[in-house]
Amino acid sequence: MRVKGDESSLALPLAAVFVAFFVAPLCILVVLSLHGEAAMRTWTAANYVKFFTDAFNYSILWQTLLLGVKATLVCLVFGYPIAWVCARSGARLQSIIVFLVIMPILTSVVVRTFAWIVILGRQGIINQVWLGLGAAEPLRLLYTETGVIMVLAQVQMPLMVLPILTVMSKIDPNLADASRVLGAGEWRTLWRVTIPLSLPGVIAGCILTYTACITAFVTQTLIGGARLIYMPLHIYQQAVGANNWPFAAAISVIFMVAVLVIVGILGAIGRRSETFARA
Amino acid sequence: MIIRLNRRTMMGGAAAFGAALAMPHVARAQAKTLVAATFPGTWNEADRNVISPAFKSATGAAVTQSIVLGTDQVARLTAAKGNKPPFDVAFFDAPQVLDAVKEGLIVEYPAAQSPNFGGLIPKFQDKWGPKITMQVIGIGYNPKKITTPPKSWEELWEPKYKGRVGLTALNSQLGIAFLAELNRIKGGSETDFEPAFKALRELLPNVGAIAANLGAYATLWQQEQIDIAPYNFNFVQTLKAKDVPVEFTIPQTGAAGWETSLHLVANAQEPELAVKYIDLHLDPKIQAQVMKPPYDVIPTSSKVTLEGAITTSLAKTHDDLAKVRGFDWEKLNPQRGALIERFNREIKV
Repeated sequence: MRVKGDESSLALPLAAVFVAFFVAPLCILVVLSLHGEAAMRTWTAANYVKFFTDAFNYSILWQTLLLGVKATLVCLVFGYPIAWVCARSGARLQSIIVFLVIMPILTSVVVRTFAWIVILGRQGIINQVWLGLGAAEPLRLLYTETGVIMVLAQVQMPLMVLPILTVMSKIDPNLADASRVLGAGEWRTLWRVTIPLSLPGVIAGCILTYTACITAFVTQTLIGGARLIYMPLHIYQQAVGANNWPFAAAISVIFMVAVLVIVGILGAIGRRSETFARA
Repeated sequence: MIIRLNRRTMMGGAAAFGAALAMPHVARAQAKTLVAATFPGTWNEADRNVISPAFKSATGAAVTQSIVLGTDQVARLTAAKGNKPPFDVAFFDAPQVLDAVKEGLIVEYPAAQSPNFGGLIPKFQDKWGPKITMQVIGIGYNPKKITTPPKSWEELWEPKYKGRVGLTALNSQLGIAFLAELNRIKGGSETDFEPAFKALRELLPNVGAIAANLGAYATLWQQEQIDIAPYNFNFVQTLKAKDVPVEFTIPQTGAAGWETSLHLVANAQEPELAVKYIDLHLDPKIQAQVMKPPYDVIPTSSKVTLEGAITTSLAKTHDDLAKVRGFDWEKLNPQRGALIERFNREIKV
């Protein structure tokens, strides 16, 4: 879309806000990461060398990126059917489902996470039921990766469902009818028509969910505890606990680049799927 | 009712709003507000319920609490260096005082303007800011599960507590103090933490949870996720007041702790109010009040007679308090980063 010169100037205030409060701090972060001390006296690449020569740091980065994949997949497996049912139901039911999907975003993430502590704990609802069924030992859910994935999937679910729903409700219902008329069953129609057409929404949902999951400091630390170290906690501990700002800046930059690469890959898949959907 | 907004009233409103932004002192003159840091837990409750009302009636000014841990306060003050600081009164544990002095984040305490300063036990009269209490660490345990109070730290290693021991990450003062105390007991020194980490490795099979922060640590007790763990006297009292099953005991190796202090921040916006606010914390009447449950704050004024939970589990007299073993933060502080890193490597799954 082309915007005429005089109209694009309307975006200038927003651009200025972006430069002042996003681009500038980001530049400071990058510059800080290339210094030896917080006062920024000596230039050095030592922080990056330190990160890349230590397997401990990689494993944290790797586990964080992997956590995002697992949580996103769980979100997709549960979120896609919700979006599908919602897109096919009547206006009244649709608004109820959308409300239920959005509801988690209406409470603070801290509150939601604390609620999950109550659910997952030794005395929690899940374990009460589990022990009630005759189990000898309570399940260990709190402070495990399984627990973190469960909570992330619930907390970030709206980010997956809403984009898929938006794309799905734009799909021409005649296409599904045509598929059926031509002899395809429900499953075949879903597999060959609905899923390919909704791919752009799936990709958008995955990007949003993924980035939200891997940066979810509150959920990761409260449900995962200190033994499951993911990048946000690692950055926090280096910055605040160890007071090592340059190294914290360096790992932030590395984390950001890693996430951008993944988002870039997902975006590229998204663009291909759009061409595919149009063809 | 219909509100008509024309260009003139809009401009008038905008101008008034702009003026208020440009001249904050005009708006503030009506009701001054002091921004004071405080710790999550016992202290933010004591500050809100006891000290703030007393401050309001003494000065007419209000207090806005900034509930932040000491290390976070140092980070925020460092980030704001050269500008308006985010709060006027800093609330530090002993190690942060050293960091803050080194970075020039706090100024010397104007003791002359603080009538209650002289009433403190001499060792609590620090020139950088008065010590307002002590934090003492010992063993916290769930009395529903553990009926005989533990006698020594070694009990944490007993096989019967498999999966029932809790720990907290080293970014909290409790975490680092426990590690230092463990190191001392196991024969280490301030330069050699090997014995502590060896003991920690042996403890890990018993460890059911390591909380990333103190808020999560409290939740572990509330949810009875752990039965026994190093804990802080005051946190235990706060949880007990909320009917959480937890008790506190000092192991045979003795009590270990550190002082907590208040400080006037460099370039404070309201320095006089800040000193008045700090001085209230030293007032024997206030100290006697916050020594009662649910706060059980250990007093530092020589004019307060010890009573309550402090006398049953910690110290009968001021002399007993003076015997609480301290830590050499001058030597420990520079290693904090390395210790956190080592600890994370040891515990990471």
